[in-house]
Amino acid sequence: MKILYKNAPFRGPLPVQPIWLLFLTFFVLTGSSVIAQRVSGVVYEISDGKKVPLTGANLYWAGTTLGVSADTSGSFSIPRSTQSNKLVASFVGYLNDTLAIGAESEVEFVLRTEQSLNEVVIRGNSTTLDRMSPIQTEIITTRALAKAACCNLSESFETNASVSVSYADAVTGSKQIQMLGLNGTYIQTNVENIPTIRGLGTTFGLNFVPGTWIQSIDVGKGAGSVVNGYESMTGQINVELQKPDSREKLYFNTYVNNFGRAEFNLNLAHQLNDKWSAGLLTHASTLRNRVDNNGDGFLDLPLYTQFNGVQRWKYQGEGMMAQFGVKVLHEDRTGGQTNFRPEVRNNGTPVYGFGAKINRVEVFSKTAKLFPNQPYKGLGLILNASLHDQQSYFGYTPYNGKQKTLYGNLIYQSIIGNTNHAFKTGLSYLLDDYNERYKDTTLLRTESVPGAFFEYTYNNLDKFTLVAGNRVDFHNLYGTQFTPRLHMKYQLDRNTALRLSAGRGFRVSNPLAEYFGNLVSSRTVVFREQIRPEVSWNYGASLTREFNIGDMSGTWILDYYRTNFQNQLIADAEHPGFLYFYNLQDKAFANSFQAEVNLVPVERLEFKLAYRLFDVKQTMGEPYGESVLLPRMMVNRDRVLFNAGYALPYDKWKFDFTVQWNGKRRIPNLDPGYDHTSYMNMPTDIAPAFFNLNAQITRTFPKWDVYLGGENLGNYRQSNPIIGANDPFGQRFDAGIVWAPVVGRMIYAGLRYKIIR
Amino acid sequence: MKATIFSILFAFALTMGAAQAQDKEVKIKTSAICEMCKERLERNLGLSKGVKEAELNLDNKVMTVKYNPKKTDVASIKEMIVKTGYDADGVVADQKAHDKLPKCCQKSAKPHSDMKH
Repeated sequence: MKILYKNAPFRGPLPVQPIWLLFLTFFVLTGSSVIAQRVSGVVYEISDGKKVPLTGANLYWAGTTLGVSADTSGSFSIPRSTQSNKLVASFVGYLNDTLAIGAESEVEFVLRTEQSLNEVVIRGNSTTLDRMSPIQTEIITTRALAKAACCNLSESFETNASVSVSYADAVTGSKQIQMLGLNGTYIQTNVENIPTIRGLGTTFGLNFVPGTWIQSIDVGKGAGSVVNGYESMTGQINVELQKPDSREKLYFNTYVNNFGRAEFNLNLAHQLNDKWSAGLLTHASTLRNRVDNNGDGFLDLPLYTQFNGVQRWKYQGEGMMAQFGVKVLHEDRTGGQTNFRPEVRNNGTPVYGFGAKINRVEVFSKTAKLFPNQPYKGLGLILNASLHDQQSYFGYTPYNGKQKTLYGNLIYQSIIGNTNHAFKTGLSYLLDDYNERYKDTTLLRTESVPGAFFEYTYNNLDKFTLVAGNRVDFHNLYGTQFTPRLHMKYQLDRNTALRLSAGRGFRVSNPLAEYFGNLVSSRTVVFREQIRPEVSWNYGASLTREFNIGDMSGTWILDYYRTNFQNQLIADAEHPGFLYFYNLQDKAFANSFQAEVNLVPVERLEFKLAYRLFDVKQTMGEPYGESVLLPRMMVNRDRVLFNAGYALPYDKWKFDFTVQWNGKRRIPNLDPGYDHTSYMNMPTDIAPAFFNLNAQITRTFPKWDVYLGGENLGNYRQSNPIIGANDPFGQRFDAGIVWAPVVGRMIYAGLRYKIIR
Repeated sequence: MKATIFSILFAFALTMGAAQAQDKEVKIKTSAICEMCKERLERNLGLSKGVKEAELNLDNKVMTVKYNPKKTDVASIKEMIVKTGYDADGVVADQKAHDKLPKCCQKSAKPHSDMKH
């Protein structure tokens, strides 16, 4: 314990003190245990649903040569090792199992055959819960992603209860996600552990990760790990892409929908030799068809074209792993009135148009030094450089932005004494250079942030896990920032786990990029003051239980999270003529409660039912010198999600059906005669609740998949998504008040072709 | 809306009921070698017409296939195995398909570690 205390590179500010005290208590407790000299036990396998002893399995301490074999009754006895506390049981044809050995002297292994694992992977449920992680984490697998055949990251959460998609505006086609009652900007979104959708990229970033590239998505709720930085406030999402050494040598997907959107994806993975592999992910999609189903004279969906690709190389050696690659993206969007053409812009023609041209280049590398004899040890370096260039206009108003980012993260992980005590520590550096120009205002900002972090993990036989981390970042503009975070997981019994988390988040906002949808209006943008960084504390608790009723298996989850803001960017759209930005004066918080049941009544049939309640408020009124706590606009209090899926063996046929009910929400006052003079007792408008129905059928052939599906099958549309659509250059024009789908029913079909090695 | 939910649930119930028809079973000896072979064969057979279930036992390399005799027969099942690149009872593997298999799955491969003892 002393070692850790001395090595800790820094100590937290006042609020962290109890954490260190807690540490101390644990060390004292664990240190005082009396430990037997030998560990003995039995190795079993499962045969016909029963535990039977397995003869001849090998047992050894991880990273040592100290080992014994189990006898004919599966029993063994092995002397303790000072070098390792991870006892591994292995046997040909079975999967290795490792137990962290603490004070106990009797243990039990149950080995599974490799084949049974394959089954778990292939037939596993679509959304799985990471049972081991102390942070409540849902894993969305390729199988769940296939339920929403279209199109990119923003649609990948369709069957997930924790993340929902919100509609930003009626013109640009950008989509935002929401978690724990707060916008996607408060979630740290990483692609393979590199912070990716941030800064100016938040506007359309979710559209830049095609669905077919995604291997899996981890959704972590609440405060995240300190290893990836200080920006996660309500959670973190990590997206893993298809790997260069994947067994899918070739994957081709094509998609078309009734609005005329067409999409092509081609993924290639090539094993160059034993150690090197190369992977290519590509995407091209376009919409050339002018759709105006609600007859308001505006395109319901912008015309667009996107080209997107990643090329990367991977080296996997015994003591070293390396990956490097390049990502490029080009996107061109045109929206606005149906008769608008970009060529005639600036001709003085009174036709409202929206355009955005985005170019992005990114290079990245990841290297890791491995220690084959000490599997708990590792040294990794992540480097990333990106350039984001966006040129857009709303009517006659131009908005251009450029962001250059450099990111480096060096991580070292090892153990203290034995594997009950593990830690990760490292150094990071972030350089962000922003150059934005909106109308005649120029916003320049250069952030240079060196930082260091330390995260300690205490694991007592997976029964109790504690992760305590802190980081210190030296921000060139906003001073030294401490980011303490704490996670705990307690296994109440075999099937029930309780998780607790708390942590601080810090981020510098980019008001124009984050409220891009509100710029499609005649509102005047006013920065009431210098915007300070946002600071929040998030606290959460969750209870997960797995259960069986006869042959039925299932899980239920209850969770509650609260985010308290010390400072928040207030984007005030209460006055129809203005979009005010100012700092939080008093209170802002978001409470989120969620209850979820997953049920597998018979093999290959799954049901999910979830209810979620938000209570999100913020203090507004600064423009009139008032201070009024108001429910946050556009956030619906209630949401219900139901999902049913059924598959035949080998997924020959797959059926999937999702229905969501989105409750009422507060929206700006839309009365044309409304005169906004005060925030007290002001009249509020409420948008109605609505249903959203999606369904999909997939037929699998040995090499082909064919799918047919529909979104928004109930054909629900917001009746007048654009206010003042007939006078887009008038005082009342606003396309940013969108709370429901703008387009109606969407039917799509597509096919996938794959060659598996 | 309600009607849609019910009809979809009904469709589920129908498909599940239909699986209970009169099935036949056949055992075929193959030249499979490892877990990868097993996965490949089971998937290809499982997805082919009329096949309900396909399971390969790697100890004796015998493939047990449950099928609907109205939709397929033993000869077609064997042909599927042969086209995947493996021997099926007396029928020798399609040479082209066999040569396309990864090295570890070809007949010349020595028995290897991911195989059950």
